[in-house]
Amino acid sequence: MKNNIAERRAGRQWTQADLAAALGVSRQTVISIEREKFDPSLPLAFLIARTFDCAIEDIFTAD
Amino acid sequence: MSKASFTSRRAPVHHYVLAVILGAILTIAVSLLVGVSNPGDFWLAAGIGALCAAYPAMSLGARVFVSRHTVTRDPHGEQSVELQWMRQAGAGAFLDVLVATIVVAAVLAVGRIGVDALPVLLGLVGLSALDAGLRYLAIRHRALK
Repeated sequence: MKNNIAERRAGRQWTQADLAAALGVSRQTVISIEREKFDPSLPLAFLIARTFDCAIEDIFTAD
Repeated sequence: MSKASFTSRRAPVHHYVLAVILGAILTIAVSLLVGVSNPGDFWLAAGIGALCAAYPAMSLGARVFVSRHTVTRDPHGEQSVELQWMRQAGAGAFLDVLVATIVVAAVLAVGRIGVDALPVLLGLVGLSALDAGLRYLAIRHRALK
């Protein structure tokens, strides 16, 4: 899945560590998701969407 | 399953000292136990026991006295990518060990070679642990490069 997490994170001037702390996951998880090498679970995708105050489909799109 | 992250924080110095002391006590205890159980080669057995026990004993010391200051638990650690890496590494290592076991068993059966079970079983344990560890590092390296 493609995603725009890096852009949204940069827009808020968050580091990957900041986002990882907000999500309660490791920094490697954020790195892997941003590089589209790891598709997050549905609960984590909802958590990401809630963190950025938007819907899941605003962040994730199918390849 | 939860996951923890290392932080840049440091524990108070005396906690490191306590960790080393606990590790040393456990190492000496294990080496004495191994040495006493092999009275013919006390020092050799005790030395091997100490070598085997030192790392896990020091790790236990660090876990008890240090890690609570330097490691934080991720609230949603079960969602972290590391869990997927561990699963992939474990699955790959299982198949590797299965294939290795089949090949070795076939060679032993065809060659009518008899071997002691204990070193073979210990070898399998070592192989599976090494395989899973190396696979984890390789998966992690590929994902983060």
